[in-house]
Amino acid sequence: MKDFLYQAPESIKDAISIYQQFQSSAVIMAGATDIIIRMRDKLISPECVIDIKRIKALYGIEFSESKGLLIGACSTLNEIAENEYVKRFYPFLAQAAESVGSKQLRNRATCAGNIVNASPLADTATPLYVCGAVIEAEGSEGKREIPIDKFITFVRKVDLKPCEIVTGIRVPHIPGIEGEFFKISRRHEVDLSTVCGTVAKTGGEYRIALGAVAPTPVRLKKTEALLSGRKLTASLIAEAAELAKSEISPIDDVRASRQYRLDMSALIVRRGLERFAS
Amino acid sequence: MKYVGESLQRVDSYKKVTGSATFVSDVKLARMLYAQVKRSPYPHAKILNIDISEAVKLPGVKCVITGEDYKKRGGLYLEDRNFLAVGTAKYCGEAVAAVAAETLDIAEAAVELIKVDYEELPAVTNAIDGMKPDAPLIHPDLGSYKVIPIFFPQPGTNISHHYKLRKGDVDSAFSTADFVTEHSFFIPHIQHVPIEPHAAIALYESDGRMTVWASCQSPYAVRQALSASFDIPLNKIRVISQAVGGGFGSKAGTTLEGIVIPLAKRCQGRPVKLVYTREDEFENAYVRQGLHATIKTGIRKDGKIVALKNRFIWDGGAYTEYGVNIVKAAGYASPGPYDVDNIWTDSYCVYTNHPVGGPYRGFGMCEIHFAIEQNIDIVAKETSISEVEIRRINGLRKGGITGQGEKMIVSGYHDCLETVLKEIEYDKPCVNTSPVKLRGKGIAACWKAPSMPTDVASSAIIRMNEDGTFFLMVSAMDIGQGSDTVLTQIAAEVLDVPPENITIRTGDTDHTPYEWQTVASRTTYCAGNAVKLAAEDLKSKVIELAQIKMCAYKRELEFQNGFVVNKMHPENRVPIQTFALGLTLPDGSGVGGPAIGVGTFVVPNNMNADKYTGMGEHPVAFWTIGFNGAEVEVDTETGLIKVLKMVSCFDPGKVINPLTYQGQVEGAMVQAMGTVLWEELKLKDGHILNKNFVDYKIATAYDIPELIVKVAENAELTGPYGARGIGEPVMVPGAPAIANAVANAIGCRFTRMPITPDDVLNALKGKNKK
Amino acid sequence: MKYKVSFFVNEEPVELYVPANMTLLYVLRDMLNLTGAKDGCSAGECGACTVIMDGKPVNGCLVLAPELDGKHITTVEGLSKNGKLSPLQEAFIAHAALQCGFCTPGFLMTATALLDEDPHPTREQIMKGISGNLCRCTGYKSIIEAIEDVASHYEGGKRI
Repeated sequence: MKDFLYQAPESIKDAISIYQQFQSSAVIMAGATDIIIRMRDKLISPECVIDIKRIKALYGIEFSESKGLLIGACSTLNEIAENEYVKRFYPFLAQAAESVGSKQLRNRATCAGNIVNASPLADTATPLYVCGAVIEAEGSEGKREIPIDKFITFVRKVDLKPCEIVTGIRVPHIPGIEGEFFKISRRHEVDLSTVCGTVAKTGGEYRIALGAVAPTPVRLKKTEALLSGRKLTASLIAEAAELAKSEISPIDDVRASRQYRLDMSALIVRRGLERFAS
Repeated sequence: MKYVGESLQRVDSYKKVTGSATFVSDVKLARMLYAQVKRSPYPHAKILNIDISEAVKLPGVKCVITGEDYKKRGGLYLEDRNFLAVGTAKYCGEAVAAVAAETLDIAEAAVELIKVDYEELPAVTNAIDGMKPDAPLIHPDLGSYKVIPIFFPQPGTNISHHYKLRKGDVDSAFSTADFVTEHSFFIPHIQHVPIEPHAAIALYESDGRMTVWASCQSPYAVRQALSASFDIPLNKIRVISQAVGGGFGSKAGTTLEGIVIPLAKRCQGRPVKLVYTREDEFENAYVRQGLHATIKTGIRKDGKIVALKNRFIWDGGAYTEYGVNIVKAAGYASPGPYDVDNIWTDSYCVYTNHPVGGPYRGFGMCEIHFAIEQNIDIVAKETSISEVEIRRINGLRKGGITGQGEKMIVSGYHDCLETVLKEIEYDKPCVNTSPVKLRGKGIAACWKAPSMPTDVASSAIIRMNEDGTFFLMVSAMDIGQGSDTVLTQIAAEVLDVPPENITIRTGDTDHTPYEWQTVASRTTYCAGNAVKLAAEDLKSKVIELAQIKMCAYKRELEFQNGFVVNKMHPENRVPIQTFALGLTLPDGSGVGGPAIGVGTFVVPNNMNADKYTGMGEHPVAFWTIGFNGAEVEVDTETGLIKVLKMVSCFDPGKVINPLTYQGQVEGAMVQAMGTVLWEELKLKDGHILNKNFVDYKIATAYDIPELIVKVAENAELTGPYGARGIGEPVMVPGAPAIANAVANAIGCRFTRMPITPDDVLNALKGKNKK
Repeated sequence: MKYKVSFFVNEEPVELYVPANMTLLYVLRDMLNLTGAKDGCSAGECGACTVIMDGKPVNGCLVLAPELDGKHITTVEGLSKNGKLSPLQEAFIAHAALQCGFCTPGFLMTATALLDEDPHPTREQIMKGISGNLCRCTGYKSIIEAIEDVASHYEGGKRI
């Protein structure tokens, strides 16, 4: 790991001004679980690391029916997984948060970090996609809200302007939403997803998102449209599972083949819908 | 017996639970320098030029070396290797230069400044291709390499050893068989994954003495190899092995010690430390060799196997190290624990531009038994004779004849088979809990002999202190398997003193006595015998003096609870420490001197087999035999396999410590499960794609099945208290037992491991098409 | 760059100047000579470096040294008090829940934090809770059973 300047500002404003000073040679660090490894492997060698964990405003998980859920940028995955509101109103998000890495890792890693990394297989992404979550960012020009599906633009690429910092994630309250997070991985615990996904239902509508099957997590709009307002029969579920495959573009890699990912995507859709059919 | 057979707490526990056990990476010496290594990015490349000029200029850099500085080749059996590449780099990650600097950061920066010009050469990335006549030659000078004459490299090819087993008349036996069938299997490279990465420190002092701290299983073997490679007399090189954080074979030979020694030589008076990263561990520690195995089986209608023809092609990697001997061991064990009259085996070790193959727990047995034990099940299915019956009929009995023509004096094969069948309830069908999750059970046998030269030696010294406590000194290393505890128990048993009165000291070639190596599941047997003899030697010396003191005949005296006791008159007893420094006579004169016992051991009557046929009278020390049973559940929609239960029954001769025995077996079963479910070094064009824990998965606590450990004890005649080695054998049948269970669950056979979810789904799709 | 940090290790106050590019693991190992926490992968995958930070288990290799200001760290060296082993340490010995011992400190720290959070976890919770610690020797069963033993026989640090 190359040497760097470590800064731990206590306000968002200070963080932004340090960021402006160093521009792209600075990185924002929250949980540090990804940044440290990337620095160790010399994938990045920043001049300055801005640790945002001393900023009190970035903590807390709040919920209200009008505003929905607000997850502070420094809230850890364990805090999210154990939060009563999350478990009650967004159970699939709690499942997803708990499925990331190990207990030790989740005590440090944040949901915001999981999203900002923009890995196609980020476990917490698909629950946020189905809820239409919004990323809250702040920069020198003020605050901005970016829908998550616009925020993640490609593998490890996000819509953040220079020197903009993610301050939190807002998840709208969707009364009556039910759903499940699915993770297919080689090993049950402490593994990356081969494919992951969330299948949810709200009223007569279905919301489905998959991860690790395209350069970004994907919301399956066509499949959702097919299902909209219809009674779930075995044949409709099969049709939906098949259609889902046309909305994704998985690759072959060391973890699995493209075909396996296609099959698992269909399976997640099917298993997710079957829950609502019974 | 008082201590042997008891679940004594491990003698190394306290240090290990308090964090005070010192591993090499924990050692910090004054004025220590840190080493880093420049490695080849190509699987096969000519080194045109190495420019170290910028690196040496970097402040804080003390020394930079390249292969050109140390051209002498070394190697355990076949001298084919330099510690730093000379002329060509033969695998991705091979060391080409090394740096010693004041800090690790400086050393890393210096490595980046070393410029190497390469000319890429065509690479051999498949052992079968490597055997072809037009394959690029990896060692063009193979014919000139020094080799121990039990191995047969073939100059002008990539074959570093061709082992042959020739028993009976295979061709005519096949013609008498009712069924003849042939099947092929593939086992990829895997890595040992000790949680402690390799580490070494070397210090060269002004008087010409070299001290090496190494996380190694075999300090004496390391000393020998380093002495030969660097021309240091054995009395000037000291190898210290302290706590070893898991070996499984990877710490058996010399690895990074060969890099720190030349650096230390150039930096006199300053210790040089090198610790592998996890990435290094995957690429530059040894790997388990890949294997392409083909077995042709001739069997009669009554279930008797009459002929076996085996062809094993091993992907040995760029250098052989232990590879040639693994290939030999696999060759002579090739029939498995079966009594077969006609056998023809060819086992080839082939150079490839892959990471260097080395010993891995099982020494070839895990690999060949994945083939052998699945083959038995396949043959059973093809001939409609049950796989249990085929095993009952052909399994080696007492008096049976091994593949090498040796008579079995003892065999626990059938005891272990029946126990495992019972414990896994093999005759009871599985109950599926879901229509898409199918369950199945499987069994597999194994045998393994210590794959060591016939004359290898062990020794032990035991010293009594003035208060009747003892120091036991050996160089067999406790690498986690529990040898410190077991050897202490053996000494305690002989001396009849509480084990806590004996402190064991290991792993210092200047101070602890000779031990060939801590490998081959030979420690309890070989070192155990040496310890037993040392304790008996001490006892007999003490009793020699006691007869004077106690006015009794030797034959009347024995050790009891810390006393020398007259068996006839138990009230006549003297504390053993009375004799610790010899005996003082009434006139004040002393006799005897300090009580020290010495024990040495070599396997009795262990002789080389015939070079050309592999046949022999007593070519191996002993065979350890056992079985595993497994029950699995296969999710037919995801292809994921969950192992629900594993059962082990082995014949260890005698369990010295049930607690450590159980630990060894449980660990082995879980390690075996990992290999068949997940583990594979993914090699593409000579590059490892998964040299990290993210993509090389081993089992976690969450993955483990119910584990049942049973034993069937049939004493080994020459073993200490009847014990024979088990550490490696207990891993061997796990993978094929699981593979057989998977096949029984879903009706698809997997001849390649690991069995991936991808493979499972593809097989099921193929089956449904039919 | 070096940063002044004041924190607590095993309840003892510590004040150090630490480089930015050093991790907690190496602050402990190199600067404080507390070598119980081990480096098995430097990537948060093996758990051998697990220590307890402000009551929670974390990977020592994934915490930067300057972050330590004000923190409370517990390492394996702090588990025994006045030479008396903790119930978990005793149980690890009794169950031979260790072999080579390299991963043992990490397991003890994860398990200590696990039982601090919930003194009576189920076997399933134990298995899940320690799945971030890799062991290549034991097969985990003895480790799980050692933790279960403490979970079922201790209440508020006292044997029941």
